[in-house]
Amino acid sequence: MRKSTLLLSSLMIAGSLLLSACSENGNKDTASTDTPANTAATADPNTAAAGTAAPSAPAVVPAGALSEPFTATDLTKLPAAAQKRTDTIIVGLTDPSGAFTPYFQESGYDGNVSSLLYASLVTVDDKGVPVPELAESWDVSEDQLTYTFHLRKDLKFSDGSPLTADDVAFTWTIQYDKAYDGGSSLPSLKVKGSEAYKAGTAQAIDGITVIDPQTLSVTLEQPNATALVTLGSNVLSKAYYGKDYEFGQLEYIKKLHEKPLGDGPYKLEKFIPGQEVRFVANENYFKGKPKTEHFIYKTTTGDAWQFLETGEVDYASFPATEENIAKLKELGYVNILPYTPSTYGYMQVNLKHEQLSDKRVRQAIAYGLDRQSIYVDAAEGAGAVANIPASPISWSYTDEGINPYKYDPEQAKKLLDEAGWTVGAGGIREKDGKPLSIHYLASKSKNSDIFIAVAKENFAALGIDFQPEIFADFNSLVSKTESGDYDLVSFSTSMLTDPADGFMQFFDGEIAGYDNPAFTELYNKALATTDIEQRKAVYKELYQLFNDELPIIFTNYKKTVYAYNGRIENLSVSPFIGLAGSLPNWTLK
Amino acid sequence: MSTYLTKRVLYMLIILFAASLLIFCLYALTPGDFITGNIKLTAERKAELREIYGLNKPVLERYGTWMNNAFHGDFGYSLAQQKPVLQLFGDYIWNSFLLAAVSTFLTWLIAVIIGVISAYKQYSWFDTLVMIAIFAAMSLPSFFIGLFLIKILAVDLKWLPPGGMMTTGSNAAGFAYFKEVVHHMTLPVIVMTLLGLGSLTRYFRSNMIDVLKQDYIRTARAKGLKERKVLFTHALRNALLPAITLVGFELPALFGGSIIIEQIFNWPGIGQLYMKSFGLRDYPLLMGFTMFLAILTVIGTLLSDILYRVADPRVRL
Repeated sequence: MRKSTLLLSSLMIAGSLLLSACSENGNKDTASTDTPANTAATADPNTAAAGTAAPSAPAVVPAGALSEPFTATDLTKLPAAAQKRTDTIIVGLTDPSGAFTPYFQESGYDGNVSSLLYASLVTVDDKGVPVPELAESWDVSEDQLTYTFHLRKDLKFSDGSPLTADDVAFTWTIQYDKAYDGGSSLPSLKVKGSEAYKAGTAQAIDGITVIDPQTLSVTLEQPNATALVTLGSNVLSKAYYGKDYEFGQLEYIKKLHEKPLGDGPYKLEKFIPGQEVRFVANENYFKGKPKTEHFIYKTTTGDAWQFLETGEVDYASFPATEENIAKLKELGYVNILPYTPSTYGYMQVNLKHEQLSDKRVRQAIAYGLDRQSIYVDAAEGAGAVANIPASPISWSYTDEGINPYKYDPEQAKKLLDEAGWTVGAGGIREKDGKPLSIHYLASKSKNSDIFIAVAKENFAALGIDFQPEIFADFNSLVSKTESGDYDLVSFSTSMLTDPADGFMQFFDGEIAGYDNPAFTELYNKALATTDIEQRKAVYKELYQLFNDELPIIFTNYKKTVYAYNGRIENLSVSPFIGLAGSLPNWTLK
Repeated sequence: MSTYLTKRVLYMLIILFAASLLIFCLYALTPGDFITGNIKLTAERKAELREIYGLNKPVLERYGTWMNNAFHGDFGYSLAQQKPVLQLFGDYIWNSFLLAAVSTFLTWLIAVIIGVISAYKQYSWFDTLVMIAIFAAMSLPSFFIGLFLIKILAVDLKWLPPGGMMTTGSNAAGFAYFKEVVHHMTLPVIVMTLLGLGSLTRYFRSNMIDVLKQDYIRTARAKGLKERKVLFTHALRNALLPAITLVGFELPALFGGSIIIEQIFNWPGIGQLYMKSFGLRDYPLLMGFTMFLAILTVIGTLLSDILYRVADPRVRL
């Protein structure tokens, strides 16, 4: 028995070692998607902005050493594996899990898969402006509450069955089911009668009306400019996904996850867990069958380089560092596309803490941190400094009246003096006998290391006591943040489609303590209209407000490059919908 | 023997029960849950989802539900992968097993051969070379060896594929598929074998050296037995005995997957899946898999105890 106890304890020790190893690696995974920037930028962020200010400018924002798309110079260098393919294109994807039903998937990778299997009612163009897809057009009522969608004629699912307004109504309805556990943002949209449906007191949702097979309308309780895109998402076939539906019972749908029925450019051919997802062109796609018969997402967890170099994948993305760009150019057989995702990095500020509730202290931090060194120079150009809650590629982006907070320690010291923090013993600033101390949280990554190294010096120069704390994984970081024990935390947003998304966190309680009626009023004003020009004007005011008040401190934009097999033609990448938009047109030279 | 077995099995159950409680609490106490990481959700929606998943209930109650389901053969439903946990095991575990079984077999085979020879020729140039090679292999990190071999053999020389388990898009079946898999597993098997080889060779070498010094070996030689017989029948058998304990430990490793190797070589194994699930706090999968490993460990130790008795009748159970 003693031996068994010994064994058990060694099992425990081994287990805990394994755990710590896991958390470290797990973090790497999340870090790449959720923490600020490992990417590139121009020397002057304003050049990037200028490129997008004009409405007709292409969505290409210069990235580091690459200011415009680069075309392959020598296709004969293309590896034999890639040379051989005639009707198949292969793209790497981190980890599709097999949950391919839209609205029911938990990972963005599954979203990448379903974005090829399902088309949307409404999509967005390269600037994030809504444009028709399955819906030919839509009307919005005077009061901005009722949206009427007019579907195209003769829409079909990939099995040939018709796609009608009933399918759309079904898709919306099940997301208000009380058993719905997905991450869709539709349930937070207040559709008239949706609460009664969720509570089980109504058989159907009042606000959703099917007018005829090609027309349906939906009425909201309050205006919301993001509703159009949220409502205008993928459509699930009622005949297929709704066959066994009963209120409060959504378990059955899980069995259909690996057997999707969509209406997108491609159909699922085969899913091999951990290895690949195979697609075949859908002859019933409303825009016509895609030009390339087969498409494959290959599961890749490691380095994308080796697969691009051996010709096993045709397309991969890299941080836009000068080194990466030079190396890619040298390959000779890849086209390179610079790209800025629609995200921004920021430091969440604990506004409940006395020292940070003062705007001048927040501004002092923005001035006093050498963000250019941290996010642009240290990243070898694969990043840009951010000053507003929107990415330079958004239609709402502006730098008019925006303070760039260029690194200026003198200005920072002046602001701290003004705020009453005077240098005390040991060089640390004090007010009412309390030292000015900043407890900073971040998850473990190369960028956090750089940040801490530079920030330590910067903060010391300002007379701020800087106390960094690093977390092994993203979940622990968020937990600690939720407990309120912090001053600053580094985060990055997920993909933002609508400019309102950039402010969302101030409404759902995540950033407590920012209570500014002017902000709430402007935010609602921007949502109350669907007119882009009007919204643009309101967002400009909002950006200026945030840029001045800094309820969060903006840090950076990431910059990436896409490298792809030079034989592929007609490829473009949308910052909002990825490659799904242009994929049906890709051809192999 | 049979009373021993009943007793052992009983203890095993108690150990597993304690282990499961401990593991569950450890996971439950790790900061953050599956919902935490999703920064897109509103606080209201997060609360709703915690209610649906039962994450807002007390730890012990959650444990009770989990145990109850587990006894009914239901190991839960992976939150991140949206699939039953057992189905996920089926999807990934055999790939890990294949890799681990082949490399374990090779590791043992090579380690025994080299260990015996270098013990027999202790302090010879062969032994010195082996010791140097072993220390080199043991001190190299696996990701370095892995990436280095990928660079040389896959990217530069193009002899072997850089990763994966089969050629992307391949429809090979039967023998062609077998060949493809062998081709793809060569690199990871080389690395795994190299990494395991060092310690095991040292273990066999020192066991063998100890045995060769024993009186009965001298006696056997004095009797005029052939050197080969002395070495393989008398010495090797006794030198291998302690290794049986190691066999028990190998069992969970065979199914546990190697996180790093699978990551580097893009191998569709369970180790990678486990690692990702931890980052996401996918409790049903983590719990299911950890328990599975705990069960294997307990069974493995029991097996090695029984085997030991079979191999050496002097051992009393």
